[in-house]
Amino acid sequence: MSRPLLKIGWRYLVRHPWQTGLMVLGIALGAAVVVAIDLANSAASRAFDLSTDAIAGRATHQVVGGPRGLNEAVYTRLRVEAGIEAAAPVVVDYVTSPQLGDRPIQLLGLDPFAETPFRSYLAATSAFGAPPSRARSSDGPGVPVDSLVAFFTRPGAVLLSEPLAKEFGLRVGDRITLAASGRQSTGTLVGLLHPQDALSQRAMQGLILADIATAQEVLGRVGRLDHIDLILPEQEASLAGRIAALLPQDARIVPIGARTGALAQMTAAFRTNLTALSLLALVVGMFLIYNSMTFSVVQRRPLFGALRCLGVERREIGALILGEAVLIAGVGSVLGIGFGILLGQGAVRLVTQTINDLYFVVTVRDTAISLPSLLKGALLGIVATVVSAAMPAWEAMTVQPRLALSRSGLEDKVWRAVPLSALGGVIGLVLGAGFLTVPTRNLVISYTGVFLVTIAFALLVPLATLGLLRALQPVTGRLFGVLGRMAPRNVDRALSRTAVPVAALMVAVSVTIGVGLMINSFRGTVVTWLNQTLWGDVYISAPNVTAARSSAPLDPRVVEVVRSWPGVVKAEVLRSVDVGSPEGSLAVAASAGGVWVGPNAACRLA
Amino acid sequence: MAFQRNPTTLGLMPTPVGAPASGNGHQPPSAPGFIRLVGLSKAYQEGDRRRVVLEAASAEFARGEFVALLGPSGSGKSTLLNLVSGIDRPDAGEIWMGDWDLTGMSERERTLFRRRHIGFVFQFLNLIPILTVLENVTLPLELGGSSVKAARASAEPLLDAVGLLDRALTYPDRLSGGEQQRVATARALAHDPMLVLADEPTGNLDEAAGRAVLDLLDRLTRQAGKNLLMVTHSTELASRADRVYCLHAGKLQEAPCEAPPYIHSVVSCSDAAGI
Repeated sequence: MSRPLLKIGWRYLVRHPWQTGLMVLGIALGAAVVVAIDLANSAASRAFDLSTDAIAGRATHQVVGGPRGLNEAVYTRLRVEAGIEAAAPVVVDYVTSPQLGDRPIQLLGLDPFAETPFRSYLAATSAFGAPPSRARSSDGPGVPVDSLVAFFTRPGAVLLSEPLAKEFGLRVGDRITLAASGRQSTGTLVGLLHPQDALSQRAMQGLILADIATAQEVLGRVGRLDHIDLILPEQEASLAGRIAALLPQDARIVPIGARTGALAQMTAAFRTNLTALSLLALVVGMFLIYNSMTFSVVQRRPLFGALRCLGVERREIGALILGEAVLIAGVGSVLGIGFGILLGQGAVRLVTQTINDLYFVVTVRDTAISLPSLLKGALLGIVATVVSAAMPAWEAMTVQPRLALSRSGLEDKVWRAVPLSALGGVIGLVLGAGFLTVPTRNLVISYTGVFLVTIAFALLVPLATLGLLRALQPVTGRLFGVLGRMAPRNVDRALSRTAVPVAALMVAVSVTIGVGLMINSFRGTVVTWLNQTLWGDVYISAPNVTAARSSAPLDPRVVEVVRSWPGVVKAEVLRSVDVGSPEGSLAVAASAGGVWVGPNAACRLA
Repeated sequence: MAFQRNPTTLGLMPTPVGAPASGNGHQPPSAPGFIRLVGLSKAYQEGDRRRVVLEAASAEFARGEFVALLGPSGSGKSTLLNLVSGIDRPDAGEIWMGDWDLTGMSERERTLFRRRHIGFVFQFLNLIPILTVLENVTLPLELGGSSVKAARASAEPLLDAVGLLDRALTYPDRLSGGEQQRVATARALAHDPMLVLADEPTGNLDEAAGRAVLDLLDRLTRQAGKNLLMVTHSTELASRADRVYCLHAGKLQEAPCEAPPYIHSVVSCSDAAGI
């Protein structure tokens, strides 16, 4: 592009700060939401990976049991009868502690004597420490020997990472209250783990290490294990089968990858939905850009006409518009990335809270600035802007130079395009409806259908606007006289300028109403379901760290207190547990009235 | 001078008259005119109706001639300018400038031809509001590839000639209508075009300002050996042209011609042209 055209483009943007600002804002908001959601999603995924890695260590397989875990005897059989040496028992669950900010934190109970092949948290420093070459990124460098001795010998001994202890002002020797499933215990901080790098620090941020016996006591699982970690050599594929034969009926051996993969899949749809919603924000941003760009082109038609008369080529005019768009996209994307990082700080809390409530606990409080997320946001911002600007650029390129000499023509062109636009809208509606009626749960297909329908309605806007204004004109004329006739006619006669803002507003309003309706109907359904399913006024269960249903039993004394509480007309008890079956997980619920078994067994607690 | 296409840059470089035409391969008819319009026809579709604007219009202008084009509103004067400048294409007929047939060129070639060899003065000025007076005048030069320094060196004497050198760094919206028209005139001449097209250049000006602008145009075109084709409603202005053409009902006719109904102040075009 030649120098004077660059000058013309630049000065136009500078001389129309509000218009330019609106375009920058549009793309910045779109990019910010995409970056924020992406950062939050990746932070949650990373937290999940780190958490899995921190717990699973170098294990290749796990022996897992039903909802109540495994009997300790299974571990003994594996070590003694099957002669499996690389096996480590694990007790793990979430606890809270007032000394640690009452946030969910994972208590990992380990057998120090079986740990060495799996995790090196308990490797002593210096003389007793594992060689650095063997250390994993998630491992700490070890624990001072005196702390390790205290850990082995002192009941209720726990270890924390040094940054975590520092964050809450805890020192070696401090006592820590640990709460789990309605019971409280007291532990003592006997030593600090020193993470080598940021990654291991992050992994240990949500971890309390304890001897397995201490963990069993704190969690009320004496004699029970959550799982047994195994390292099975790859060449001995049959070994897993032999181990499976030794296991009791409710236990099974699973590869680590399959277990973590299943958990990751659980949140995949949730994260895809968030990403799709962030892309919707980008689409709304695109409308804003398209609208502003179209307006800037319409506004400058005489200028483009004059430039064409002076010998400026079509492609140069197109490059001018796209160049402006790229500049705006660059500024908008940079701002959007900045906003996105700030927004991401809030979004990560919301995302992890939702994952904690619905799926499993991830402990992540910070967003790590991930370069791919930022690049994705910037790229989407630039691509969205260029796509939005493509049509206005084409419009500017095709401006007839004679428009500089004669001022008519634009509105005629727009009016001629109205039937075509409406036809495009009808086709879009048919295609969109087609996509939406495809019997699939594939989100991409569903969102393509929604996107097509949205665009189709936007294309129908010019025709609908004309029809409505024609119908409105006699009424406004009668009510407000000449001015009443002029107002709708102004919109009507300047369709080139009014159609796009009307369409953009229509999309924004329809998306707001659509999402609102969806949320309200979902809430309504849940309320109806709750009213039909839950008959009690008050439900009492053992406290749980997460919002997920507690599996811990209620203390029988609580039931007695509730029954004798003044004003309680009736109280029923119900026990519900998930059990494994060849058909998958089943809920078994028992109450005074009987037992229900089923994938969705309804539970009444009172 | 005639013009030939440079195949590498698509620029059009002057070559001596009589050099063989290249590119489109068209050879001019035997007529000696420097600018020749041969049987130009143009019609526009308006709804279901086809409106004929030009019908087999032919004319020839010698080098350095000042030609005025008279005609009522909507008679096709601007259409004729669009065709001559290569902005629009005729439905039939040919436009020759020297050895070059504009109608045989592609859209891009016509654009580059216009950039290099045609200057415009519009009725509504069409100065670029976000460029200063000086930048408006250097625009055609910079588009043609001149450096900022060289463009400035060429533009400043022109601004001086139109009496606006002291307003070089002013934006057009700070100028009066007459001053803006003088800037537009300087811009039209900045890149030394062979043809200046002026569409009612004094239409928005008072009598004195209009006369001053026309004096300027005349001095910088006809007296400098360039062609000036001016559309006007004013028979007084037309009387200063070397030749006057009248356009009425799609017919282009050189004066003396039958007095069209819109001319009240003169008896005929021939009077207007002083012939």
